[in-house]
Amino acid sequence: MGKAAETLYYLFHPSELRAIIQWKVWHNPVHERNEAKETPEERKCFEFLDLTSRSFSAVIKELHPELLMPVCVFYLILRGLDTIEDDMTIDLAEKEPLLRNFDQILDKDGWSYDGNHIKEKDRGLLVEFHYVISQYKKLKPEYQKILKDITRRMGDGMAKYANNVEHIENGVQTIADYEEYCHHVAGLVGEGLTKLFVTADLANPTLLRRPELHESMGQFLQQVNIIRDIREDWEDKRRFYPKEIWSKYVDNFEELLDPDNKEKAMQCSSEMVLNALKRAPDCLFYLAGLRDQSIFNFCAIPQSMAIATLDVCFRTPNLFQRNVKISKGQACALMLESTQDLRTLCGAFRKFARKISKKNDPRDPNFLEISIACGKIEQFIESIFPSQQPGQPVQTAAQLTPEAQARADADAREARQDMIYMSIAVLATLFLVTVFMLGIAWMAGARFDLVLNSLREGKPFPPAGGVPSGKKIVGHGEL
Amino acid sequence: MEREHVLVTGGAGFVGGWIVKQLIEQHPEFKVTILDVEKRDSWRSSQAGIDFIQADVTNEAQVKSALETAKPSIVIHAAGLVPAGNDRYSPTQEVRDRVYNVNVNGTHHILNASKSVGVKCFIFTSSITIVSDDVDHIYPNVDETAATGNASLVYGYMKGIAEKIVLDTNSTDFLTCAIRPSVILGPGDYQLLPTIHRCIAKGETPFVIGSADNLYDFVYVSNVADAHFLAVENLLTTKTAAGEAFFISNGQPIPFRHFCLAVWADFGHVPKFQIWIPTSVAWFAGFCAEWATWLTGTEATLSRGSVKDYTQTAYTNLNKSREILGYQPRVGLSEGIRLSCEVRDSKPCKNIITAEIE
Repeated sequence: MGKAAETLYYLFHPSELRAIIQWKVWHNPVHERNEAKETPEERKCFEFLDLTSRSFSAVIKELHPELLMPVCVFYLILRGLDTIEDDMTIDLAEKEPLLRNFDQILDKDGWSYDGNHIKEKDRGLLVEFHYVISQYKKLKPEYQKILKDITRRMGDGMAKYANNVEHIENGVQTIADYEEYCHHVAGLVGEGLTKLFVTADLANPTLLRRPELHESMGQFLQQVNIIRDIREDWEDKRRFYPKEIWSKYVDNFEELLDPDNKEKAMQCSSEMVLNALKRAPDCLFYLAGLRDQSIFNFCAIPQSMAIATLDVCFRTPNLFQRNVKISKGQACALMLESTQDLRTLCGAFRKFARKISKKNDPRDPNFLEISIACGKIEQFIESIFPSQQPGQPVQTAAQLTPEAQARADADAREARQDMIYMSIAVLATLFLVTVFMLGIAWMAGARFDLVLNSLREGKPFPPAGGVPSGKKIVGHGEL
Repeated sequence: MEREHVLVTGGAGFVGGWIVKQLIEQHPEFKVTILDVEKRDSWRSSQAGIDFIQADVTNEAQVKSALETAKPSIVIHAAGLVPAGNDRYSPTQEVRDRVYNVNVNGTHHILNASKSVGVKCFIFTSSITIVSDDVDHIYPNVDETAATGNASLVYGYMKGIAEKIVLDTNSTDFLTCAIRPSVILGPGDYQLLPTIHRCIAKGETPFVIGSADNLYDFVYVSNVADAHFLAVENLLTTKTAAGEAFFISNGQPIPFRHFCLAVWADFGHVPKFQIWIPTSVAWFAGFCAEWATWLTGTEATLSRGSVKDYTQTAYTNLNKSREILGYQPRVGLSEGIRLSCEVRDSKPCKNIITAEIE
């Protein structure tokens, strides 16, 4: 969006503009980094964080001090892995062992890597990776163990995909493959973070006993990214929509991007959206298990952005032509809603579930299933926050015992009597006031006799000229 | 072990008929007897080898002699009268009396006769409406702790009285249990789908009342039958369901409007445009339509009652049925709608306005 277009947009969306101002002006971080106390290595890591991530750096830097460095280092390690995986100029023979042994690299003091292509945007991180390693070594051993385990498994997963010619050339085949891919790139992150939260005693340990919950957190984010980035990925010669889904609508993947197949393409994206939507109740369940505000914010912001992104992707033909995304104003409004409490966040989820449901089209083969998925989100929210609306009965006649019924009747009788006495008192007061006013008026010289006479003659209004006779106004004698 | 003998009242009707059909499929070891006021083609053609007793539940003597002849060990009481259309929203005294007679007196008769002939288990087909027919309030994710007895419409109110009688009778040698299905769909249903289907011909499909995001719960008829058998199995074994009521639905709440759209889409109809009408305007229009109905003597889709039904939120929490009965809907909503519409495709739906015995 150009500057002019942006100005015009916010002119017509004042509430979004308000959200931007509110976020920028009034948002206070839960925890703030104390930069004065930081070592130069630590500061270097935060610099890398700012360089490599736009969306995550702000929320990471507001994390609880206990987890600030572990999560920052975790992020940078994964970013390092990702930079090696993404770089297609690295020879597979070199790339594979790098990916597979990345967990051991974490123990090598001073390790760095300059094999990335000069244009690779996060090249700098790997060139000075020893800063990350030195910080990793300063972490508590239990955190190191978690990070190392996830790094190993993710590296293995990435190596597997880098080796898989089928995956590179033909894209993802089945839905199971697709979810496995999402598991490797996002589900594992969810697992690692959950272990960090629970180890730091900042989340309910139950979250580890129900692994499908953190799996859904990662799947939801990754699936939404894949849905949104269809065009961009295709231009980069990557295809993540599984063939099992798109082949139901078109014969060749490229046909999805043809504007002539708009309707078919949208139906395909609907099925993708449906698949992601089914994860939403689990995500809310997971968020309910977090005990710290900063961690809640850290997890909730990407989730609410994801459901809002699903809404803009759903039944949007543009999805296949250009990059669709939520506006900055919407993003700020979502961040405001995601940094308060679960109830507010659930409100946002319900709002977007209903928006998606409203756009649902009965011609779409996934119509009913999407409606059901949206209904499940709403039902889940209802189950944790039952609505107490004026429409709901609080106590009902059926629950009253005879004594309570008798008491209620007595109360009603008393209320009726009170009402009668009140009315009498009010009327009496009004009468007294009237009498006083008339009395004072009479004493001050009001000629009620003239008024009565004119009324008797049938003239309710005083004649023009005010005073009815030419006589001077006289009082009732001297006072 | 002695062979169990199940008597299904209303076994020639919609729900009762499905209970009989599934019962002989799933429990061939049971002997089955149908008690109904009239025979229907549906069961006569397909289900030979089942005893049939013709009896009117409102007739105490008939019921008594029927049960004495059959001497069942289990009774599933699915007979009931479901008033539709105007009879649902603004019944005449005559309709009220009939609903009371069939649903309350009828239940009383069956219950007493069952007890006196030594029936072990008594399953009552209740309804979500005993809670949700309180149309001035919303019931999102409602569970069995919700108060009954607030229903303002005649059907839910009477069903509520009958359910209370049944559950209060529960004792160690006479176990009772109530199944409360949500709105039921399925082949053989003469009320829900025909009413929705008729909107296409009447050109009423573009009208959307209110925000149309009010969620509603539905249940496919075979799932309802399943729940009855789970209740029977429970009462024969662990007995944890004795004296309890259970909500039964497909566990897939969707906006009522979307249910209608899905049914219409199955018949190949999609509204070309949508007209959004605020609830208050629709309520007023319903009020006018009721007068028009009164003047002309015809049946309109719109009435204040139907507007409230259309905009109400009522869906259930299935936790109790899942935990105690082990209930799980086997037929999903999409499949259920498809199966229900298939039957209607081959047979043009009848225009049934008056209430019928279920």
